[in-house]
Amino acid sequence: MRNFRRAVRITVFLILALWLHYVMPQRDIARVTSTEVVRTDFSALNRIFFAQADTGATDNPSRDLRFINTERKATYLFGLIRGGNQTMVYRNEDTGWIYPPYFKFDSADLQAEAGAAISTAEPYDWVVITHYGWRIRWLSIYPNAVSIRPAPSEEFRPIPWGNIIIYIALIAGALFLRAMWRQFRERTLDPLADRAEDRMDHVQADFAERRGRVRRWLDSWKSK
Amino acid sequence: MNFVRLVVFGFLFLSVVYICVSLYSRSVRREKLEVEWEETRPEGIHRDAFVKEGMKEYETGLRKRLILLVYIIPLIAVGAIIYFVN
Repeated sequence: MRNFRRAVRITVFLILALWLHYVMPQRDIARVTSTEVVRTDFSALNRIFFAQADTGATDNPSRDLRFINTERKATYLFGLIRGGNQTMVYRNEDTGWIYPPYFKFDSADLQAEAGAAISTAEPYDWVVITHYGWRIRWLSIYPNAVSIRPAPSEEFRPIPWGNIIIYIALIAGALFLRAMWRQFRERTLDPLADRAEDRMDHVQADFAERRGRVRRWLDSWKSK
Repeated sequence: MNFVRLVVFGFLFLSVVYICVSLYSRSVRREKLEVEWEETRPEGIHRDAFVKEGMKEYETGLRKRLILLVYIIPLIAVGAIIYFVN
């Protein structure tokens, strides 16, 4: 039972961590090499990794996707370690009013910015691309670019203030939830349980007494 | 349509949060009042009357109205995200 509970807890924690890794913003230092639009038909497998049509438009089973092709600085261990250059393709979609809550409506403008940032001749113009999501090749899914701004240099390392604030808020929320649960248990559940136990004791005592009376009456018929 | 969905479900979710937080806040206040009575033992005031009086004060106080921030802070956060992302 204890092992089972531990397994459930680890699974929940892993799913939560993966989900956060997927939806939280990340930043890459990259240079845009080209932009393109590709007509895409989604499968049941990868549909959940794409957003919907532009906020003002209607959603069809297949549609054109905006892509930003780049060469970026590879990162490992949540961006702590920098590697060499690697190709990376970002999609560029409106997240609209729903999940994940980036409220991005300007993918057309972002595409124009990406086009203006194309840099194929040295010295390269490096940009910071804020994005969320994963690139998984066998699923044909791409991270969604949220914003592009010029990077001061190739070696620039942005501090993730947004993530820091969000994680602090999440931890504070979790602690608050725990405090609420404890208060509820201490002030509402425990007294209820106590009262129920109390009533049980009363009933049992009553029963025992009544049985005692019957026993005494029966005993009075016995010959002494 | 998605906007309507966000508003409706967001409002429902925040209402649940609001109710939970206000129940919690009231419970904490009551506990504090009980502890205060226990420590000071004011002359001639019964425990229940003391707690009732304190709760009446809480119901009209600023602290209770601060719980409305549950609605306001997400609204500001969404506004800020929309401004900075677009």
